Amino acid sequence: MYGVWEGLSQSIHACTLPRFKKTSGIMGAVRNKSAQSTAPLLTATPSRALVDQPIEIGIQHLPPDKPFTVRSRLHSEDGELWEAFSHYRSDQKGTVILSRDQSLGGSYSGLEPMGLFWSLQPVGVEGLRLRKKYVETPFTVEVSVLSDHVRSSDSPVGCHVGQGLEEGAVLAAVNVERWYMAPGVRRVEVREQGLVGTLFLPAGPGPFPAVLDMWGMGGGLSEYRAALLASHGFVTLALAYCGHEELPGPLHTVNVGEQYFETAMGQLDRHPQVCTGRVGVLGLCFGGYLALRIAMEMPNISPRCVVGISGPGGLGINMTRDQTNDFLKENQKLFRFDEQGNVIFRGITMPSNVPPNYKLKVESLRCPLQLIAAEDDQCCAAIECIDEIEERLGAVGKSGLLTRIQYPGAGHLIEPPYTPSVRVSLFHTYPKKLMALWGGELQPHSVAQEDAWNRTLGFLDHHLRTD
Amino acid sequence: MQITKMEKSITAMAGKGSCPLITIQPSRGLIDEKFQITVKNLLPGQAVTLHSLTQSEDSDFWEAFGHYVSDGKGTVKVAEDVSLGGSYDGLEPMGLLWSMKPAPGSRPGLRFRKTDVCTPVVVRIAVYTGHIGDGFTEASALAHAVTERSYMAPGVRRTDIRQSGVRGTLFVPLGPGPFPAVLDMWGGGGGLVEYRSALLASHGYVSLALDYYSTQVMEKSPDNDPSLGYEYFETAFTILQDHPQVASDRVALLGLCFGTAVALRVTAYSAVINPRCVVCISGSHVQPVKEPISSIRAEMQKNYYKFRCDQNNHLITRDMFLPVPPDPSKKVDVGRLKCPLLLIVGEDDQSWPTAESAEDIEKMMETAGNRHLLTTLSYPGAGHLIEPPYSPHAYASKMIVDQIKIKVTMLWGGETKLHSHAQEDSWQKILAFLDQHLYCSPGTSSHL
Repeated sequence: MYGVWEGLSQSIHACTLPRFKKTSGIMGAVRNKSAQSTAPLLTATPSRALVDQPIEIGIQHLPPDKPFTVRSRLHSEDGELWEAFSHYRSDQKGTVILSRDQSLGGSYSGLEPMGLFWSLQPVGVEGLRLRKKYVETPFTVEVSVLSDHVRSSDSPVGCHVGQGLEEGAVLAAVNVERWYMAPGVRRVEVREQGLVGTLFLPAGPGPFPAVLDMWGMGGGLSEYRAALLASHGFVTLALAYCGHEELPGPLHTVNVGEQYFETAMGQLDRHPQVCTGRVGVLGLCFGGYLALRIAMEMPNISPRCVVGISGPGGLGINMTRDQTNDFLKENQKLFRFDEQGNVIFRGITMPSNVPPNYKLKVESLRCPLQLIAAEDDQCCAAIECIDEIEERLGAVGKSGLLTRIQYPGAGHLIEPPYTPSVRVSLFHTYPKKLMALWGGELQPHSVAQEDAWNRTLGFLDHHLRTD
Repeated sequence: MQITKMEKSITAMAGKGSCPLITIQPSRGLIDEKFQITVKNLLPGQAVTLHSLTQSEDSDFWEAFGHYVSDGKGTVKVAEDVSLGGSYDGLEPMGLLWSMKPAPGSRPGLRFRKTDVCTPVVVRIAVYTGHIGDGFTEASALAHAVTERSYMAPGVRRTDIRQSGVRGTLFVPLGPGPFPAVLDMWGGGGGLVEYRSALLASHGYVSLALDYYSTQVMEKSPDNDPSLGYEYFETAFTILQDHPQVASDRVALLGLCFGTAVALRVTAYSAVINPRCVVCISGSHVQPVKEPISSIRAEMQKNYYKFRCDQNNHLITRDMFLPVPPDPSKKVDVGRLKCPLLLIVGEDDQSWPTAESAEDIEKMMETAGNRHLLTTLSYPGAGHLIEPPYSPHAYASKMIVDQIKIKVTMLWGGETKLHSHAQEDSWQKILAFLDQHLYCSPGTSSHL
């Protein structure tokens, strides 16, 4: 009767083997035994959670009305250290509660219960971006409380590359696990019919609505957003389309054509655990362009809805199956550079720079569309693109299909909520090392991430799950 | 037949239409954390059954179920809605866990216990159409979700202790400390039980789960050996005090069943053990205090003739400590206690006479003038095994009785709902008691 149980519990136990990470510097030396007061009690609930779940962090049994620093630390899968810190003052009862108290400064300020997570910045290394490669294990964030208001030695508040916190006395610490996959979600590699992707299936018999999930021109195969969507009950296919060694052709060009995406959508739609006809598309940046192209120009595919994040409406690329495209070579004259030499890509997607025959046939949109854009997007001219799309849809009486959302102060990389963001990071190393300016300021960007995710889930839920 | 047709058409409608979704928040939690189960996209006013399923380490299946009706939006929220029947009823956000019983066809006399505390308990929660009581197969569920329930928070460290003759398992929270600590003692027949200590460490206490019942300390000492058998416990207590991350004057004793007998005895009479506070669950102070601790077992065996059986041949052992003797040499002189004492009493305890003992303890402390140290929490309808919350209630289960070496089914007692509420409430109160007495707060130095 419960034969299926074994597979289920095995796959879960594989994910939950104990991970006793070394936490350097925390254990310290033998303490002075004559000082018999206890350390303050630091709690984080829930201590294991999906990345889009807020956590309650509190400290008790502190001396009253004193300054403290709360710090978060995370080691990326490459071993790089990310850190954030914030200054608080204990109340008369000797407590600090992050969902109640104002931060007095640090990596963030004000009332920010999740600030310790979204304000994490790399320590001492430039150009990093935090992305989870192995989604079956969590990020472990060490949250600690230190006495006094300590800070980075020479970085002012809000600086995006920290120099590491001065060593203060660590009074207490807890570990918090941040997961991209809920228990019971299954991960399946997809290498059929020429596709390169990873399928995530929610727990349960289904059938489920489905989402095709695509990222940008950085290429490769990023799975974490798809894993998170599956944790919310969508069968999700994270699809690679460029920059992956298992795809044909050179790594730095898009070598697949429209047939590739038709195959992917078809596979999803026909999957035994997917509700036929309830497949949506979600894409960021060039993935957003692809999502729009699917909705507007691929007659054999009928997505039920589309979400484009920081997506251009047209691109200087002639994308056919037989032509390879050297995107950067063709469009170099439209690049700009800031004072640090970081490349600003947004000129490429400015509607006024895109030849009309390269623009999408917006008028052919057949399904509800949600477009999310950041006002400080330095990589794509997303706002300008949405303006044009809105105008063109209006001209044919299809305004009702469009939901547009834009966020002041946010940058290009609108990722799942509470995850760290960076204003600049390494884009690629071929043909030479290139750092891209994404834009955005930390705090408004994190507001955007939180809201955009809720709006995206709500939109997908509404159009894919209900009638 | 009618119901089958209706089920199929509803499933077909659901498949074509709304894609029901069940979510559990948080999907990963500690054993004592509450969760919220929500089912969405059902039809309005739809009768559904929520079903929980887990498999123990012994490969037995445990399950529970509740009958619900969705609201006008087709939503069921277990934390807000009423179960109309099943293995629990009423407004019971955690009923799908604590009302679990072995699946039909299981071996009798089971008790749900986790031995490996480094891995979580995995529970599947499923939703079915209609109000059903059986037939919970994978294929017929509308949806299901999975939750993991852990005894250990991330970062808690587990260490085997084999030191100076003491055998146990130490759990240490993350962080430099110093932490308050708990010496954690279970009762007879259970071996080295770690899960409560793991949970205490997850709440900020260094906790030593002590194995003593199966060790030599419980063997009868030779007649010419004057030791009363405190050394083993004193060594364990000292190991905790001396631990570099423990605040040495903030160590508590926590005992259940036989562990209570030990805790009361050593606190009252040992010159070395000076706990800051003591918690006693389901125990008794009745024992020959001039004899070694090991003789408590012998004393119990002398009273085996008092055992009774209920109508199911389950063994009721509580009479072995009754009546509570007036003779002071036959019970721990609780008038000697100098630290706060919390007694947890299940009024339907069929294994030990906890209520009668608690009553006598109160009288003795009143007479001695230290009654202000005592807090008694008495739970009607609760049985003997008052465990951390949301674990399935064991009303009766198999155990090998000391020295007799046959497996009997012990009657622990308790009515499931009342017992489960007692587990939830007593655990909160135990944590609050430990927090109050072991952690430093502003404005309170060492208060007793």
